[in-house]
Amino acid sequence: METSAIGQARPQINAREKVLGRARYAGDLKLAGMLHARLLRAPHAHARIVSVDTSAARALAGVRAVATGADVPDRRWGVGHKQQHVLARGVVRFVGEEVAAVVAETPEIAEEALDLIRVEYEELAPLLDPALSLDPGVPQVHEGGNLSEEINIDRGDVDAAFAGADLIHEETYTTHSQYPGYMEPMATLAEVDGAGRLNVWTSTQSVFLARQRLAEALDRPISSIRVIQPTVGGGFGGKIIEERSSVIAAFLATLVDRPVRLGLSRLDDILSGCFSVPATIRLKMGMTRDGTIVAKEVDILADCGAYAGLAGEVMTVTAMRSDNMQRIRNIRTRARLVYTHTMPRGAFRGFGGAQMSFALNSHMATMAEMLGLDVIELHRKNAIGPGETSVHDWKIGSCELPACLDQVSEAIGWGEKRSRAKAGGVLRRGVGMAAAMHVSGNRTIGNWDGSTILLKVNEDGRAVVHTGESDMGQGAFTMLAQICAETLGIPVAHVTVAAPDTDNSPYCIGTLASRVTINGGMAMVKAAEEARATILAAAAAKLGCDAEDLALVDGVIRSADGAHTAPLAEICRYHIYRHGGEGIYVKGSHDPQTVRFDGDFRGNIAPAYSFAAQAVEVEVDTETGQVRLVETYLSDDCGVAINPLAVHGQSNGAAVQALGWTLYEELHFEGGRVINGNLADYTMATADAVPMMHSMIVEGYEPNGPLGAKGASETAILPGAAAIANAVYDAIGVRITDLPITPEKILAGLAELEEASLA
Amino acid sequence: MRNLDYLEPESLDEALRMLADYGDEAAVFAGGTALLLAMRQRMLAPGIVVALGGLSALRGIGYTPEAGLRIGALSRHSEIARADIVREHYPVLAKVAAGLANPQVRNQGTIGGNLCYGDPATDPPSVLVALDAELEIAGRSGTRRVAMADFLVDYFTTALEPGEILTAIHLPPVTPGRVGHYKRHLRTPAEHRPVANVALTLTERGGLWDDVRLVIGAATPVAQSMARAAAALTGQAITLDLAAEAARIAAEDLTPVSDARGSAAFRRQVVRATVRRIVAEAAGLDWSEAAA
Ligand SMILES: Cc1cc2nc3c(=O)[nH]c(=O)nc-3n(C[C@H](O)[C@H](O)[C@H](O)COP(=O)(O)OP(=O)(O)OC[C@H]3O[C@@H](n4cnc5c(N)ncnc54)[C@H](O)[C@@H]3O)c2cc1C
Repeated sequence: METSAIGQARPQINAREKVLGRARYAGDLKLAGMLHARLLRAPHAHARIVSVDTSAARALAGVRAVATGADVPDRRWGVGHKQQHVLARGVVRFVGEEVAAVVAETPEIAEEALDLIRVEYEELAPLLDPALSLDPGVPQVHEGGNLSEEINIDRGDVDAAFAGADLIHEETYTTHSQYPGYMEPMATLAEVDGAGRLNVWTSTQSVFLARQRLAEALDRPISSIRVIQPTVGGGFGGKIIEERSSVIAAFLATLVDRPVRLGLSRLDDILSGCFSVPATIRLKMGMTRDGTIVAKEVDILADCGAYAGLAGEVMTVTAMRSDNMQRIRNIRTRARLVYTHTMPRGAFRGFGGAQMSFALNSHMATMAEMLGLDVIELHRKNAIGPGETSVHDWKIGSCELPACLDQVSEAIGWGEKRSRAKAGGVLRRGVGMAAAMHVSGNRTIGNWDGSTILLKVNEDGRAVVHTGESDMGQGAFTMLAQICAETLGIPVAHVTVAAPDTDNSPYCIGTLASRVTINGGMAMVKAAEEARATILAAAAAKLGCDAEDLALVDGVIRSADGAHTAPLAEICRYHIYRHGGEGIYVKGSHDPQTVRFDGDFRGNIAPAYSFAAQAVEVEVDTETGQVRLVETYLSDDCGVAINPLAVHGQSNGAAVQALGWTLYEELHFEGGRVINGNLADYTMATADAVPMMHSMIVEGYEPNGPLGAKGASETAILPGAAAIANAVYDAIGVRITDLPITPEKILAGLAELEEASLA
Repeated sequence: MRNLDYLEPESLDEALRMLADYGDEAAVFAGGTALLLAMRQRMLAPGIVVALGGLSALRGIGYTPEAGLRIGALSRHSEIARADIVREHYPVLAKVAAGLANPQVRNQGTIGGNLCYGDPATDPPSVLVALDAELEIAGRSGTRRVAMADFLVDYFTTALEPGEILTAIHLPPVTPGRVGHYKRHLRTPAEHRPVANVALTLTERGGLWDDVRLVIGAATPVAQSMARAAAALTGQAITLDLAAEAARIAAEDLTPVSDARGSAAFRRQVVRATVRRIVAEAAGLDWSEAAA
């Protein structure tokens, strides 16, 4: 090959079909005789379902089935807490909970039938404020109280360390819930085929987790279900295992003898709620005069809404992940997850890291100022390094955090901008930065984090990769094709990655925890190496030479001295003929050398850890409170960037999503009802609302990763909020501790400053 | 969405007759950008939609020195923004049309639909009031003309009677020396709709402003003319102090709306800042040095 398949900026292998409109999403799929489903949602945050009368809906011409909680399996489903029925039974616990479903000949008929369903509710007092959830006498969301989970971590001697600190600072930070905002709202097509198997095409981040969940929720054997992944238009955590519509769609397919499609409108998708976990974080930190962090005390109250889902895991990340970024030994953390009568919250890109990153980095900036230190120096001083073991026993492999700090500070002109005189005008500028870490992989779904690749090399020398890891737009298939091409010795264009399908793909966990590049990629290396060895052995037999003397480069097998050569296709055919018709069909599995948390949240859960830093400049309009992002530089330590274009795309996208969370997006509730559940009023960033995004890569080498790579993308969402909040403080001296940073909060902060200066 | 009948009249008369025949059940459809959203959110549920697309009487943009500018109600925002006639005679209106919403809405939404929907969070009303626009409205009994200021009645309410169709917007012939300015403010850069906007028209005489009109939109249930603030700016040398004073008066006189996009106090604050800025900019002054 002229150039290596690795490290080259290349478009996604599935980009062309997407821009041509040829990629097929679940909502595009049609099967003969297909019916359409629509959902009836609860209008109350908390109510008893007294009765449901579906007779008029059933009587409507074209309606094939109407289902309510009375029709669904008794078995409850859930992640850790088994709490949900396929449709609400007895009680509704949030506005938008699915109470009934209609299957009809057309979407319009289904919609009309929804209006004919009569539900009588007895309204009950809702619990809407998580801060009240543990008070005596408040409404209970589930039997057994409103506390879903509690974590306590105690390391070192916190009290002694605080006693020895020169500076102690305490502050409470609040973060809000963000909509994943993927381009493709949830869609599912499901059918029970003639053999009685349930076939499901759904927009998911993991076909195998989807199958497992369907088996549980529909109470049927795993192998009676087949889940196939069509093209997925983004997930951001919302399509792992918490969304409910695919479960409902699959259930509805079991009621009729025809395929059923359920595609959510954007309004429906927002109401069905896969929002991030909002957390209130009280953070107390002690430092010595030179900026060494000596003690930390954390108290977290997180709101999972009506059902726990993955929120407990998310909260664990909020509670402890960022501890591992720094050399700190004395930590006391309490984190509590509580229920409210609001939409369920859960997994979201960054998986809880962004919440604590906002608190920690805001705190670091404040304490740096109190000590008269530069915050970048403060980060550098406390940063963990390669080869070190963190307070929770994480073994840090590659770590380029200092290089990330250098890169962003140089790019934005940190020293110069920090030292410039503060102008007094109406529009004031400031700079801010933040740093963060994330896992690449996580041994959390059972005691394994493995991945398997099945690799077929066809009789023409081209390869087909089978994987259960999913590409939801982030570039996993391109990454696998690049690694396959590089390791095997064929052009990237000769690699096809087959869509995940539980009947045909090897078992995999799926796309979460930034685990696919590092674990799926390692499995890919192993499979490709084995295929190459098989091919070279066959070539050696055919050409009459030693396999060690042969190399496979760009689809051609050649001996070192050039005496023997053969096209790959010829050897692949030869292998088939000489092995009783057996083609080249190998598998590679990889399970990293990691451990699960012990009972005390210790243990090296990931094969590698990624780091990132971001520096931004903002302009604050002191008369209107508007904050404008002027510049942003984000530096990602993702090991070797297998595809720099994809890394930049992920980093920029993450930075935009963080910007939206910090300045633009905010859910508004009225009595538990979302009142801005549409994209005109819930304003995600559009192209004209972002400045030029600068993404940079610090290339390290991760020994545990495929060809030196580790995860990218999730780390990049973590620093944005604090970087912006710190820049706002730098600009106007107002410290915003509750997200989002709204114009009203800016104006109130300025008014307070003025009052204080007059006092 | 319900099944509905989609009617395509070929003349204004036919359209008016349909509206008369079907009464409350019918809704007029121009570009559909507002109507379809309202139907999808189930705020409106018409059984019959009367599409205006085939009515040539509602199209076209023309100017004569005697009658001034006539903009057909079906003109899309992007057409107004691009029209040479508008850019020449009423550049401020072209600027408003070019800067509102987003490209999709500008290419599909019409000025008529914008005005008839009566949504306060829009741009054209304030500038049309400041430009002394008149609306041409057709009904079964003939055509009437209504001043823009009278057309806007309240939050989502206009002077349009049931069965009437807005056919055109008229602007008077241009007077020499008369200029217009416009400024909108977005709550955040990710919003498309203004939280407040200000239109300012004036005639410059000997370095002083005369015949000043200052109109606030989006922050109020309907575009609000600020007579006291305009008076303060009339016949005076414009300084930053005077701009700030006019802004203070406008904010004081404001009847703000209060909703999820901004509380009343916030709207007042934004109006104050925006008025100060537009006045300063119109006078060639730099407002960014000192706050109000
Ligand atoms: C995302 C978004 C952002 C927007 N941002 C802005 C913004 O920043 N600034 C701004 O000014 N506007 C904004 N708008 C509003 C937009 O300008 C209007 O939706 C559009 O101009 C309406 O025109 P239409 O032709 O699509 O009207 P339609 O949707 O067809 O009709 C709207 C209403 O007016 C009635 N109607 C239409 N034409 C006539 C007529 N000739 N006679 C009688 N009744 C009639 C209809 O019956 C209906 O009730 C935004 C809209 C959207 C969706």
